[in-house]
Amino acid sequence: MINLKTIAAAILIIVAGFSANAQLTGTQIVEKAYNRATGDDQTSTLTMTLTNKQGKQRIREIMQFTKYLGEIEKSIMFFKSPADVKNTSFMSWSYDSDKNDDQWIYLPAIKKTKRISSDSKSDYFMGSDFTYDDLGDRKLNADTHKLLREETINEKACYVVESVSKDEEYMYTKTITWINKLNFIGVKKEFYDEDDDLLKVLTIKKYKEVSGFWVITNSEMKNVQKDHKTSIVLSNVEVNTGVSASKFTERMMMRGM
Amino acid sequence: MNTKGLILIMLLIASMFTNAQQTELSGFVRTYEGINYKTGEFSIIQQTLNLNFAKSGDKVAFKANPMMFLYNADSLNFRMRELYLDMYFDNFDIRIGRQQVVWGKADGVFITDIVSPLNLTEFLLPDFDEIRMGVTAVKINYYIGNSTIEAIAIPQFTPTERPNDYSIWYIEPDFPAPPTFDWSKSEITPSIENTEVFLKYSAMTSKIDFEIMGGYTWDDNPAMHIQKEFDMSTGSPVLVGLNITPQHHRLGIGGGSFSTEIKGIILRGEAAYYNGKYFQTADPLATDALIQKDYLHYVVGLDFSIGSVKLSTQFIQQYIFDYDTMMDKTEFKNTATFLARYDMLRETLHLEIFSYIGLDDNDALIRPKITYDFDDSFSVLLGSNIFIGERAGMFGQYQDNSMIYAKIKYSF
Repeated sequence: MINLKTIAAAILIIVAGFSANAQLTGTQIVEKAYNRATGDDQTSTLTMTLTNKQGKQRIREIMQFTKYLGEIEKSIMFFKSPADVKNTSFMSWSYDSDKNDDQWIYLPAIKKTKRISSDSKSDYFMGSDFTYDDLGDRKLNADTHKLLREETINEKACYVVESVSKDEEYMYTKTITWINKLNFIGVKKEFYDEDDDLLKVLTIKKYKEVSGFWVITNSEMKNVQKDHKTSIVLSNVEVNTGVSASKFTERMMMRGM
Repeated sequence: MNTKGLILIMLLIASMFTNAQQTELSGFVRTYEGINYKTGEFSIIQQTLNLNFAKSGDKVAFKANPMMFLYNADSLNFRMRELYLDMYFDNFDIRIGRQQVVWGKADGVFITDIVSPLNLTEFLLPDFDEIRMGVTAVKINYYIGNSTIEAIAIPQFTPTERPNDYSIWYIEPDFPAPPTFDWSKSEITPSIENTEVFLKYSAMTSKIDFEIMGGYTWDDNPAMHIQKEFDMSTGSPVLVGLNITPQHHRLGIGGGSFSTEIKGIILRGEAAYYNGKYFQTADPLATDALIQKDYLHYVVGLDFSIGSVKLSTQFIQQYIFDYDTMMDKTEFKNTATFLARYDMLRETLHLEIFSYIGLDDNDALIRPKITYDFDDSFSVLLGSNIFIGERAGMFGQYQDNSMIYAKIKYSF
């Protein structure tokens, strides 16, 4: 569920190669964002900075690889810091079908690779403001999408799409996403809690083209209720470098980068 | 103090600073103090330095993991937990040296996980990553897609380490007559003939992960060969002494484990069949008060969540085939484990309770703990080890050792 595709995509919702069209429905707009071209594989270093309301920061650094293999998307993360999780690795296989993701974590202290449940998508990732679902491939048909309006923010003309979960137990009653009409890159997303109050705001701060593909390189999630925020900065981004399928095995989880 | 260990560490540190190539250094410093509930005495005062030196390249790598434990005032215990070289090839890897090997899917229970022996000098209380000892071995892993064939040869046998007779974890056996020990047969000479061998096939698939293993090993626990001495001067035999010769014996093991997800719940299982284990018996006709039997050891477990609380439970059973009622051990031994964990305050405050429950003797070890991470490298842990139940039980026998403890840890 965590993978580069959505750390660079679901967070940001980039839709490529589609011209602005006022006739589009909310579902069509989001679908184009989800189905954007991302290359066959991606590599990057992810730096996650958690900042609390006192301004105290905690930093996590992760090396990550993703490869698309037909109907399976495989990703692997190697934790470089902080010290107590160094050399921990996390691997996920995501499927285009409704099959649940397969996930494993390698814990270097006990030298064990454990299969873990992919059922905890509402859990927060490493104490950040991102849930696993925020970072991962939420299925397009998990929500009902509705085009609310068109609006200009930060001098960008955007579609504003409301997405309501079909699962009443889901942690967000709805999300509202601002999607750039010109390049279909998501520029902002609001998350509403079970009381329908604004909980979090995701802002895309920077994106760039790498080997012909748009990649979000700087984003920030702010919990407005807790006054806590998490920024994600991607560096050393590479696309289509021919990452081997053998990278996504227990051998590599244990061996490291 | 162990001078050799200190010298080795100094050399490693020196080499790290003088070598232009970048060797990674990580580890932790930890202070650990525990107080006995009943007596108010410190049951442990331990300072630990754990160092990991590692360098990894495309073709070769090495790791050295010395650990130093300073007990009480100045009693230094040095352990080289791991010291090995890795060689990487296209489809296989070779690891040579002192290493820890972890097999199986069970948590806190050692069924197919029998390659690395255990350090039980503090019973089962050390963290699971510290309770295993390294073995000097050659390990070859051959990879076929998501499957692995692993072969291990251990020329030098390392037995389970048990508490010394002055330790609070030492339980003095109850002998009917004064024992005399003969340790001359307790050592296994390193040789080709005495080498332990293990083989495992494992696969990681989208539906299930599984392992199938076999081993020809030495029993980590020595069999006690007992010769009885009788005094016949009164006309009828009177038991006056026992000559006990601890001796390790060969053991054949075959087993496997699996792990899969069913509707958000992780189902785990692990089993091993042990062939030819020596058990103590009261049968007067038995040679050396020992009898050889096969036994089965297995576990089934579930990992799941209720809300944000992560739960895990396991049932473990040991069954002796062709059981003889005069054996010291019972035919069945049933144990359960339970784990609940809750992380809060953005994963800086961790609440956990883990418990072993002896289902036959109504005893248990209950281990609640609370950990607070002041920052990413500095944490404080408060916990307790509570032993309850009948003294005949594996956990109840330590009911006088219940303790409260604190650990402060700095990771780097």
